[in-house]
Amino acid sequence: MTEQGRKGVIRSLGELPQGIEPEADLWPQIEAQIAGRAQAAPAETTPVSRAASGTRLRWLAAAAMVGCVAVGVWIGHSASLGGAAAPPLAGAGHPGAGALQTAWVADPRYQRQHAELMRSLGDQVAALPPASRAKVMASLTTIREAKHNLEEALGKDPGNALLQELLVNTYQDEMRVLTDVREASDAGKGI
Amino acid sequence: MTLAQVESSRIDWEGALVERARAGDTRAFERLYREHAGRVYGLCLRMTREPHLAEDCTQETFINAWRALAQFETRSSLGTWLHRIAVNVTLGKRRKAGREEPLPEGEIEEEGFEPHWTLETPVEVREIEDAIGALPTGARDALVLHALYGYSHTEAAQMLGLAEGTCKAQLHRARKLLRERLNVEVG
Repeated sequence: MTEQGRKGVIRSLGELPQGIEPEADLWPQIEAQIAGRAQAAPAETTPVSRAASGTRLRWLAAAAMVGCVAVGVWIGHSASLGGAAAPPLAGAGHPGAGALQTAWVADPRYQRQHAELMRSLGDQVAALPPASRAKVMASLTTIREAKHNLEEALGKDPGNALLQELLVNTYQDEMRVLTDVREASDAGKGI
Repeated sequence: MTLAQVESSRIDWEGALVERARAGDTRAFERLYREHAGRVYGLCLRMTREPHLAEDCTQETFINAWRALAQFETRSSLGTWLHRIAVNVTLGKRRKAGREEPLPEGEIEEEGFEPHWTLETPVEVREIEDAIGALPTGARDALVLHALYGYSHTEAAQMLGLAEGTCKAQLHRARKLLRERLNVEVG
């Protein structure tokens, strides 16, 4: 909008603001309406059937793949701009670097649960049928690539809230896979 | 970074958010809603002139968009796609309420190709919004899509389900009425 437009006077209809914020936040009602469909997205951590568990892993892998692709696009775009490389992410030591991600990773409950799941992961994966084992390893590889790419991207743009959110989502995705593996291993079945 | 590069970067992220939303991620969809709600509500409000009805139309637009996300082609503009849905929703509600107006007769004069709709002298935003709001619905719809949101005659006609000539006639009518109401030449 031009200086005149900001003062409430315009010389062209194109200067009228295109966006008008609704008085009320409409999202809660929209979310309530779409929630039924969203429940199909496998975000629960309760034990589920074999078929549902397989669907969950496929979804997680897809989500992580999206993270990889998104970051790849972003990195490619940044590189094409020829911008100066920012310092790499140094976790909590980097001033302002991914506060959301830092808070998530620094949470002792997360650290404890993650360490515990990682300790038993090798044995649990080994106990899975070969097909399930391959699926789990592929999912974890994809998720870790997404984490790596997101952390690298956050190093270049530490204040990017969306990157932080994507990274936290990826941490959560990893936890869900690890939990699924433990549940499947405990139940003595595949995924 | 130039404005075009910023915009391009934003669209890249939009594509990633669309993909996440397609996978069932409502938080990604909420981000898309936050990004586009203003432009969708702005269009609905200008077409309906009733805030509560515009809110209903905006809600329905995003609910329909969520359900149809699989059909959205990520290489096209999400904003335009949402606007198409918003126009359909608004026209549908208008039809249900029996508020459709007959198409103008005897005015199928083609509008000149003036993309900016400039005003001979500056006009206050409130005054021009009121003048647009007072236009007959058909003329207002065409004007809002073409002059405010920058859609071409063809795009505006497609969105409104009109022949292009009819859309141009509505624009001609809108321009004439605005001139009369504002007492300003609309170029």
